[in-house]
Amino acid sequence: MAIKVQIPSPLRSLTGGAQEVQVDAADVSALIDGLESRHHGLKEKLVDPDGNLRSYVRIFVNDEDVRFLDDKKTALKPGDTVAIVPAIAGGAAS
Amino acid sequence: MRISRLLAERILEQVRAGYPLEVCGVLVGEDRTVREVVPVDNRETESPRVRYQIAPEDLIRVQREAREAGREIVGYYHSHPDHPARPSETDRRVAAEGLSDGVIHVVVGVAEGVRTEATAWVFHDRDQAFAEEPFDII
Repeated sequence: MAIKVQIPSPLRSLTGGAQEVQVDAADVSALIDGLESRHHGLKEKLVDPDGNLRSYVRIFVNDEDVRFLDDKKTALKPGDTVAIVPAIAGGAAS
Repeated sequence: MRISRLLAERILEQVRAGYPLEVCGVLVGEDRTVREVVPVDNRETESPRVRYQIAPEDLIRVQREAREAGREIVGYYHSHPDHPARPSETDRRVAAEGLSDGVIHVVVGVAEGVRTEATAWVFHDRDQAFAEEPFDII
């Protein structure tokens, strides 16, 4: 059984409009590579050129932020749900 | 962007009540139509008068509830106390670095805690900029 990945609307142009896709992966890093192989361009939206998760992108595994787990090495098991969530911030000060 | 008068007024009430701090929330609906306004805490701790942050944990919760209702997150809103009702350079930079392509951002200027002005914008990755969007009360 694959991992379910919830795709936020800004990335759905890369998934053919799909709100959810499924990927076989043993950890978050492999999941990102799996997403990239099917939906070219997704990886660069999620990780920076050094391979680190982008600061304004959060990845949750079963409602837990991977930054507080094992980051990209966070293990995944069949049936897990992964959510890609934007970090929203800003404000009046430039 | 389309929003009912009732929901628009709900945002303005939150903005005035939260003054002089920035307040924020999530717009839920479909396409460019807002069906629900979900206020969330401003998690910015250092400069909440001029900055806001929406916690990803809050977004996950709102997203789940929206999906269960057959809706989705269509955008976000925040206030600019005693600053113009338009995206700041900080707003633009964060949107460019994050995942905001095609997403609505409503910015509400509030002067002296009373006078409010709301504008709507959509961020476009291709331009790395916000474009103003009609703010239609339905």
